[in-house]
Amino acid sequence: MLRINSVRKLYKDLEVIRNVSFDVSDGEFLSLLGPSGCGKSTLLMMVTGLIEVSGGQISINGEAVSGPRREVGVVFQQPVLLPWRTVLDNVLFPIELLNLSRAQYKDRAMELLSMAKIDDFAHHLPRQLSGGMRQRASICRALIHDPSILLMDEPFSALDAITRDEMGVELLRIWQANRKTVIFVTHSIREAAFLSDRVLVMGRRPATIVDEVAIDLPRPRQIAMMEDEGFNRYVRRLRKAIEASHAS
Amino acid sequence: MQAKLRSILVDLAWPVLITIAMLASWEIAVRVLGIRSIILPPPSEVFEAIIARRELLLTHLWPSLYLTVLGFALSVVGGVLVAILITYSTIVRKGFYPVIVVSQVIPKISIAPLFIVWFGTGTMSSLLLAVLIAFFPMTINAAMGFQTIDEDIHRMARTFMGSRWQIFWKIRMPNALPYIFGGMKISITLAIIGVIVSEFVASQEGIGYLIKLAGGLLDTPLMMAAITMLSISGLALYGLIVIAEEHAVYWQAPSDIGAGGGG
Repeated sequence: MLRINSVRKLYKDLEVIRNVSFDVSDGEFLSLLGPSGCGKSTLLMMVTGLIEVSGGQISINGEAVSGPRREVGVVFQQPVLLPWRTVLDNVLFPIELLNLSRAQYKDRAMELLSMAKIDDFAHHLPRQLSGGMRQRASICRALIHDPSILLMDEPFSALDAITRDEMGVELLRIWQANRKTVIFVTHSIREAAFLSDRVLVMGRRPATIVDEVAIDLPRPRQIAMMEDEGFNRYVRRLRKAIEASHAS
Repeated sequence: MQAKLRSILVDLAWPVLITIAMLASWEIAVRVLGIRSIILPPPSEVFEAIIARRELLLTHLWPSLYLTVLGFALSVVGGVLVAILITYSTIVRKGFYPVIVVSQVIPKISIAPLFIVWFGTGTMSSLLLAVLIAFFPMTINAAMGFQTIDEDIHRMARTFMGSRWQIFWKIRMPNALPYIFGGMKISITLAIIGVIVSEFVASQEGIGYLIKLAGGLLDTPLMMAAITMLSISGLALYGLIVIAEEHAVYWQAPSDIGAGGGG
């Protein structure tokens, strides 16, 4: 279990995150939804251990996070693949950094690539891939060392709307097969509602959690579901929560 | 492969045609205007001089090339090492680096006579002058390559618990390669200049010495033959670097090659 306990973040005197607390249970898909620049990415980077908390505590299975950890995989806004490595070698990059055996993980890398439907491009260089394919590769990279927690920082925001919807479906498929705990940061209301078990709505400056919405929709979820009244009720609810936070 | 070869040939066609046209008009102009070959020999006479005196030319070309390549190699190795120091040592970056940069206002050619006072006439002076000139652009380029790594890539490597050592070898080094090759292309040209200038000033061998000697004897065809040989050698060395670059920096689209240059 991942626990965020009264976490604060100050940059000099500026308070960017105020008193945020929540738990994420194992296997849960949680979204942090909020406007751009509200501090949700900062919160996620504190979970990765790259940014220190100014107050409060983040713990994974009872252990306080003080730096990057093995059981965490991260997907960034940009794919950040190394341009000189093939897709396969990019996916195996964390294995090298963790000093594990490449040979042992090669089959797993190929499995992940085929699950992400880019196994045909395993030996291509990143520049030969489309933006969506690159981001798929970076999801495979985040999963290669079998982390129990997957942190995703607006991973689809650089993609066009159609690709973005497809990637959501793909992500859910991969998640269904692997059942990681996911924290997914996004500023898209529909994306948050479509993907998540639960959505935390964040307000701006300083960032706090202004609402919490459990998305009780059946899985596996299909794109067609976005037309349903049930889905749109959640979208309206989330939008209201965001608007309320703006007004205050 | 065949398509690539064809596109190279097509690209070469125009420059080659224009070179031939220029050489032809030079030849014709010299003959029609009756210019003496002491002033300007026609290309055919330069070509004859190259053939007739190839042994003399080669005798002097080899030591120059040897010193050029050696000076270049020392500059590359030294430049990369200093660039690593600049990247990792705050004292070097904040203290020495500005001094190195400002010292570049000294016209390095003017130091050549001083080197002769210190190291005598001969290979040591030539080598050091080559290194002195070729070293700086190498250092600047390599330092830029080591330092301009994408912040996102750095962050990604840290979330996967990469050590400084791993980040150096697996990220900074490959990232710097295009910049290093950009530096090498500038350095090789400068190394040639360093060697030739020091041979002008004081040397008993080398192509620079031969050019000066032939000038003193008013043997203009020999001078131009020597210059031609030197240019061809310089072009060949540059070409070798470009070929090495295409293999080492395989991930860049062909049009990007050389983008890391400058300096």
